[in-house]
Amino acid sequence: MSSILTRDELSMALGQAGQGDRAAFRRVYDATSAKLLGVTLRILADRQLAEDVLQDTYLTVWSKAGSFDASRASPITWLVTIARNRAIDRLRSGAATRRSTPIDEAFDIADDGPSPAQALETGDDVRRLNDCLGELDDRTGGAIRTAFIEGVTYDALASRENVPLGTMKSWIRRGLMRLRACLES
Amino acid sequence: MTDPTDAEGVDETRVLAGELALRVLSPAEEAAARAREAADPGFAAEVEAWNEHLAGLADATAPVAPSPYVWPRVEAGLPPVAANDNRRLAFWRTWAVGSTGLLAASLAAVVVLLAQPSPVPPAPAPAAPVAVTRVATLTLENGAAAMTIAYDPGTGELYLAPTNEMAGDTRVPHLWLVMPEGGVQLVGAIDGSATSRHNLGRALSGKAGQANAVAVSMETPGHTPAADKPDGPVVASGELQRL
Repeated sequence: MSSILTRDELSMALGQAGQGDRAAFRRVYDATSAKLLGVTLRILADRQLAEDVLQDTYLTVWSKAGSFDASRASPITWLVTIARNRAIDRLRSGAATRRSTPIDEAFDIADDGPSPAQALETGDDVRRLNDCLGELDDRTGGAIRTAFIEGVTYDALASRENVPLGTMKSWIRRGLMRLRACLES
Repeated sequence: MTDPTDAEGVDETRVLAGELALRVLSPAEEAAARAREAADPGFAAEVEAWNEHLAGLADATAPVAPSPYVWPRVEAGLPPVAANDNRRLAFWRTWAVGSTGLLAASLAAVVVLLAQPSPVPPAPAPAAPVAVTRVATLTLENGAAAMTIAYDPGTGELYLAPTNEMAGDTRVPHLWLVMPEGGVQLVGAIDGSATSRHNLGRALSGKAGQANAVAVSMETPGHTPAADKPDGPVVASGELQRL
């Protein structure tokens, strides 16, 4: 059963888990495991692999929770980053093969608004990110979203979009700089 | 330290950190960037800032509930509880608040309770209509249901319906409340072989309204443990669910 914790409650539970509190760790799991499985499943496209990675993710979370610093990172961001990196490592280890999805399709999916149940992140940060991505051209914004959500490299993005590698790099690099400037303006 | 910017006005350090966070680099480029991340705190901070910014993209992925066996596997991978920890506290932490007490099962248990004949001695008629608002299924370590309970904080009425899992045990089952702040509170000895009703006193009924789980310990006949610490083994536990 998934439960909803506020950002502060999740930070606190993560901090307690870092002190060895297993009940707090369970609260972190209950509140975030569905979100993190959503992330690993989009990257690996295989439920069993995605759940294996989820298991590894929480073992990493347990051992690293003591280093989580609520003043520097949001708890869900911290968790999503661990889960996503784990899933991408697994994807690239060759243990997984996956279908390819055109950027347009990923863009459509990414464009769906979040449902209330998944609004773990404080809404303002996400809204701002989406606003700033919206200021990029669709191709660039779509490529950045796809890279994040599916965990694919420049190479894969370029062949999917049928553009030279250098072109894809240039889109994303310039897109990232504009995005950052917008986020910090 | 200033970073070189190229003809397009791209801050090379910052954009490389972004590429690393986004994971778009080729394996060789990524390995080089990881090495820099490990050696250069300024670069590592840039990567962290990008992680913080980009993680919001995960908002677009729909949550998917994991299979029920994932948590037990995670739990099995955790290191054993440190031996110098307060054993009792560690023990409660370990088993408390598993979400095995499914509401559906608990509701079924209420139906079972209502269907069973009421044994000795019937509780006094409540002043208000009975409203059962807390239910729990207590399970043994092997997952078998040991008992279902229903509790009405308004009246202090407690209904217990053991299965036959505890029948034949010569020890005396004792019921405990597990408090949200940690620690346990003894309710008392219970009948492990037949349905029973109790009315909790005012002090205890307040606590029962706050408890988030219940547990059963097995005590030596004739022995009453301290109110905050079982002496015998805890054999069953379950989360209290609100209706």
